[in-house]
Amino acid sequence: MGNMKIKAKLKGDVVGVKAMAKHDMLTYDQAKKKGVDANFITHISAKVGDKVVYDVSTSQFWSKNPQFKFKFKGAAKGDKLEITWTDLSGKTVTESKKIK
Amino acid sequence: MNRRKFLSLGVVAAAAMPATLSALTSIDFRATKPDTWTAHNVADSIQKLYGDIKMEESGVSVKAPKVASNGGAIPVTVKSDIPAKSVAVFQDANPEATIAVFNTDKDTIIDYMFKIKMKKSGTITAVVEGQDGKFYKGTMTLEVALGGCEG
Repeated sequence: MGNMKIKAKLKGDVVGVKAMAKHDMLTYDQAKKKGVDANFITHISAKVGDKVVYDVSTSQFWSKNPQFKFKFKGAAKGDKLEITWTDLSGKTVTESKKIK
Repeated sequence: MNRRKFLSLGVVAAAAMPATLSALTSIDFRATKPDTWTAHNVADSIQKLYGDIKMEESGVSVKAPKVASNGGAIPVTVKSDIPAKSVAVFQDANPEATIAVFNTDKDTIIDYMFKIKMKKSGTITAVVEGQDGKFYKGTMTLEVALGGCEG
């Protein structure tokens, strides 16, 4: 825990997911001012089992500690939702949460 | 068609093929469409991502606060009922235009919220690539009171 907060709740047959990734999301401009390398999340993917339910390639213009929400069908209560993000430096973080 | 575009199309085609077997596949649009992410305006970014396309202005809703007090975290919601292959979101306030490219299939619920930063007031454009091969777009213009890119 700590790198990502996830909430997943089943309502009817739709799972609503709220998540927040902890990341500075430094743009090229911001990084230049600070004298460090730009680094931001470039890809977020969510899976239930081996089924991908959310897949997005992202840019440096997502906010710092970006929050995101999405919905999907086809999962049941108790299923494990797994979210993985990758950043520009190649770091990968995966967190999972049971669907409530 | 230049060589790079041709190659990247091949990658997309190869990556998209297993999608008919299972549900969604994971596509890294930063790898398959590298030029999209460095283009400086919305029209260029769309052209680098999808080629020369015509878009219908219907079926896509983009929601954001009319006046964003904090440009560092603006909640944006993109919704559409169109069965889509992909959804791309752009804005014209920052040095580069592309914000996100979602990979979707016909069963995907397009109801995405995410927080973005914008340097100044501008327009957010969402483009949906439909399963029918057509393109649809929605836009939302907003004012940003305090720019969010100065860190």
